[in-house]
Order: sequence, then C-alpha cells, then structure tokens
Amino acid sequence: MAEPQVPVTVLTGYLGAGKTTLLNRILSEQHGKKYAVIVNEFGELGIDNDLVVNADEEVFEMNNGCICCTVRGDLIRIIEGLMKRKEKFDGILVETTGLADPGPVAQTFFTDDDVKARTRLDAIVTVVDAKHFLGQLEQGDEAEEQVAFADVILLNKTDLVSADDLAKVEARIKSINPYARLHKTQKSQIELGAILDKGAFDLKRILEFEPDFLEHGHDHDHGEEVASLSFTAERPVDPDKFQKWMGALLQLRGGDILRSKGILAIDGAPKRYVFQGVHMMMDADWGTPWKPGETRASKLVFIGRNLDAENLKRGFEDCLK
Amino acid sequence: MKLDLANPDWRTTLPPSRSVASDAPVAACAFSRDGKTVAFALGDGRVRLLPADVKQAADGAPEPAHQGAVLSLIADPVGDGFISGGDDGRLLRLGPDGAATEIAHHKGRWIDKLAAHRSNGTFAASVGKMALVVDKAGVREFGPHASTVAAIDFSKDGSRIAAAHYGGVTVWSIGQVTLPPRRLAWAGSHVALKWSTDGKFIATGTQENDIHVWRIAQSSDMRMAGYPAKVKSLSWSADARWLYTSSQPVFTAWPFAGKGPEGKPPLQFGDEGAGLLTVVAAHPVAEFVAGGYDSGELQLGDIKTRRSVVLKMADGSAASALAWSPDGFRLAAGNDKGDLLVVDLRR
Repeated sequence: MAEPQVPVTVLTGYLGAGKTTLLNRILSEQHGKKYAVIVNEFGELGIDNDLVVNADEEVFEMNNGCICCTVRGDLIRIIEGLMKRKEKFDGILVETTGLADPGPVAQTFFTDDDVKARTRLDAIVTVVDAKHFLGQLEQGDEAEEQVAFADVILLNKTDLVSADDLAKVEARIKSINPYARLHKTQKSQIELGAILDKGAFDLKRILEFEPDFLEHGHDHDHGEEVASLSFTAERPVDPDKFQKWMGALLQLRGGDILRSKGILAIDGAPKRYVFQGVHMMMDADWGTPWKPGETRASKLVFIGRNLDAENLKRGFEDCLK
Repeated sequence: MKLDLANPDWRTTLPPSRSVASDAPVAACAFSRDGKTVAFALGDGRVRLLPADVKQAADGAPEPAHQGAVLSLIADPVGDGFISGGDDGRLLRLGPDGAATEIAHHKGRWIDKLAAHRSNGTFAASVGKMALVVDKAGVREFGPHASTVAAIDFSKDGSRIAAAHYGGVTVWSIGQVTLPPRRLAWAGSHVALKWSTDGKFIATGTQENDIHVWRIAQSSDMRMAGYPAKVKSLSWSADARWLYTSSQPVFTAWPFAGKGPEGKPPLQFGDEGAGLLTVVAAHPVAEFVAGGYDSGELQLGDIKTRRSVVLKMADGSAASALAWSPDGFRLAAGNDKGDLLVVDLRR
C-alpha cells in the first residue's frame, strides 16, 4: 500500500495555444519514461510506448452543499482503472479542452481519497497564445482562469508578436498570476524539466518552487478581473484565529478564490506552517523549522476574482498576536 | 447448506485452498455457471482459469485475452465459460478452455462493468455513457446516460436493467416492447449499484461516501451516511433481508426485512482490527457473507450467530475481488498484488 504516488501533470490552455504540440513533445522525447495520457479527442498522438486514454470531461458537483466543489468524475474513474494495469506509469498527463476550467481537475486531487492514495497533482501547466491571449480574455473567463490556476506558464508563439505586444501580454499574465514560472516559447519548445516533476502542490516544496514567494508582492485592484493579493506579517499568527478566519473565508468566498498559498509563523511553533488550496479545498502541514535568528515572516497569497484587498488585509491582521 | 462457524477447526486452521501468484492486479473473479472453473481478470490482459477443485492440477498462465487490463468479468450466463471486458474496448466470450470470441469492440472506450441475469441468459456491459444488453437476439444499446455508466445490474425477473451514473440511476425495460426509461434521481455521482435479490430495492454507493436506496414500488428513497470511504462494494443476502456494505471495519448489514431500515442502525458483527472492508459478497444461498479487507485479510461471517472466522491472514495487499461458487461451498478472492485464491469451505 506504500506504493509511490504517480505524479499528474495537467496541461491547460485556450484553443490553439499549443497544448497538443507540447504533449507530443513530451511523448516523443527520448526520456525512457512511460506516461499515461488522458486526452479529450484522439489527436495525432499515440507514441508506441505510451498509453492514450480518451475521456469525456465529466464535471461532477459534489452533493455536499458546496457549489464550487466540483470534481472530474472521468478522472476518478480513469485513474482507478489505470491502477488495475500491471504496468506502472512514471507519470500521468491530463490534457484539458481549451475551454475547460482547471478548478475541477485540481479539486479532484484534493477531494477523492482513492485518487489521493494513488496519485499526486504535480503541477498545472498552462500554454498561452501570445498572439491571441488578450483577445481571448474578452471572450470569457476561461483564458484568465487557466492562467490564474497555473504553476507553470508557457507564453507560446512569441515569434508571432512584436516585442512591444509580447511585453503587454506578459504584464497582463503577471497581473493575473505573478507566482507561476513563466517561460517564453515558440512551437511549445521547452525543456521537460521545466514542466514535469515540479512538485508544485507539494507542501514541502512551496518554498523551493517559488524562491520569490517571500519577496514583497504587489497588490492590484482589478475589480472583476482575476488578480493576486499577498500579505506579509512579522508578528506571529494565532492559530485558532487564523483557522477560524480562513475557514469562514473559504466557505463564503471559495468560489472566487481560485488558489491560495501560505507560509505562516505560528506563535510558539518551531516550524513553518504551510498550506495551499484550490477554491474551498485546502491542504496544510508543518514545513521546515525556522532557523535561529531568522525573521519569522508570514505570507499569504490569494489568486482570485473580486478580491477585497482591504477586507482581506484586515482579516489577516486580526489573526496576528 | 452446512457451514458451521462454531466448529473449532475454524479457529485453529485455515481451510484448504489454492493460492497462485499472478503478479498483476485482480479486477474481478467469478465461478463458471457449472461451478467447475474459476476465472480471474488480471491487469496484464490475461484471464486466468483455475479448476474450482483446489486439489486438481491447474494450467499455467494463458496468453493475454485483452490488450491492457481486464477490467470486468462474469460467468457466461449461457455457457460454462466467462464474459470479460477490457480497457482495450473489447467484450469477449471465453469458453471453459479460455478460447475467446469477440462480442463487441468499442475502440478507445473501456468495458469496465458487467452484470448478468441468473437465469434468462442475458448480460449487460457498460461502454462509456451507454449500456449494452447482450442476449440471443444480439447486442442492443441503451443510453446515453448523464455520464459514463459507473455500475449496472438486472432486476430479479430480468426484464429491466439499472445503470448508475451522475445524478442517479436509470432503469430501462429491456423486453421487446420499448418503454421510456425511469429515472431515479439523487444528486451527485453514483459509483456502485446492486438491485436487491427480491427486486424491490436498488442500492447505490455515492461519491460522498453514502449509500442511497430506492424502493421501486413506492418511488421513495433513503440515504445511509457515515462511511469513512466510498462504498464500492454492495451485496444483498440471498433472501433480500440484508444489504451488506464495504468500507467499514466489521461486517455491516442494513435490515430490509419488514418495514425496512429507516430509523434502525445496521447490524454489525465480526472482528475489528483488520482495516476496512474493500469487498463484500453475500453467500448465494444461505446466511453467510464473505469480506475482504484493505489489509488483505479475508473473513467469513454468519449473520445468524454473528460469528466470523478468518479465511486468509492480512498480507498488506488490499482485497479487490470476491466470488462464491454457485453451490456456496467455495470462495474465490483476488487482491491488488495479483494473488489468486480459491478456498474450499467444506470441513
């Protein structure tokens, strides 16, 4: 039962951004690894050594009174089925459709015990079309949410835009999600190490993955748009107050809060308290110990829609000793 | 039927058995209709056949019947072989010697659930959002359902099938007269389904770790909550008085005799400490139940005396499949590691 959890990489991106090209690159590279690939249509995939599973994106609401609590029923079923095979996989790649909301995919890995036992969400990789991204933002929430959820962003097709336009797109991406690693690419060309085995959802690697996580963040006021907010504090956090505040916040605003992450200096605790969440779901654990003499700074990050910076700031400050 | 669990032999020795290591996870197992052969569906595409008689010599591993994993397996309702479904999208009829004929092939889909009617020779398979019904006349399709079909079963008289999916259960008349399907709605995803042996109830296990049960005649339904995990294994006793459920540390049976289980706790018995039950199988004739745990332990319980005995010690590999022989004297079990077990319960 102590079998290692298979890492799952989710590839998102708007129609035509270059997801399938990226997928083909991963599969055709000589890495000696075996992947199961969950796709929505049979494209020009099917590298001999890998298994391609055709899925219909089946987004299920959990019948637990929480409307934002949705999971991908097909993923639960497919992962269970894959584990019945004798051959084991080095990884699972999930390609979502261009209009998919990454929320349900991510939440599946927080919610379903069987999926959690067998697999772990490694990272959400979003491919962005440099030429069309700004236009896609106007067409609905999908392109924006795909960027908001991302741990790694491929700003792709950079050869099709001017340096000025590229800078504009990059700035817009950063305003939505400054925490994702951004790589500028052409034809989805990227070193696989930049997108696979990132451990982006591994609480132990929150610091390692985001070296600038503890630098001062930038606050925005974009209203309806997705934006990120970060708060820091050097006074210790009262664990009971924080739990109460965060619990109520996710309960009430979980639909708007797409991702959250935090490193907390809990009053009197020798270790960092780390957590991260997707909508209402949250994982938390003790992280590395504080070094003697180290500044015990807490930091909290939210990426979401309609975030009220003043209110959140006050809420967090009320949790401090 | 004579299985006396008070017999002190049960406490001191394990019953005679045959154990074969296959090295591929077991998705399902079944005895043939004549009770002579037992088959195991394996994660390497093979269907391994063993003689039900644990002393009779067994053949070696066969060639794979499916490419990929065999996901589902039942006894062939019209022969002495088996029906298998795989993640290669193939639905096969296997003779008692393992010779395969293809019944259907749905490329790119999985055939992951199978059920048969005990006497009318009809069986059903899930393929994506569709349910296939196979009988003498051929293959018919029912659906599409609201999502991929997660489980399927027959009514007692064999005139209907029930398919579990997101949002509830759909009941189809499969006779020659086409009737509109009946929907039994309950929000959320339903992952397991068993129609009661008296035909009066349909029980499902849900994504939210509950059990949902519909009374067919009254169109009323009930919910049993409080399980620590999804209930993926359900089994009705032969007399339909009890619904056994997995995902508890001891045998758990909901009482369906008389007025039903409303307002009553389930009957729980057996020895705790083996972990959580992953599979349960009610005896085909009498008041016994077999259960396999996530620790690998196998127990046999008697609901009348509330005794239980150990049939196999825990070995760290979760029990994944259980099946009774038609006469109820033998039990087959498989686990995630690929151990195949046939136990002879006559002592």
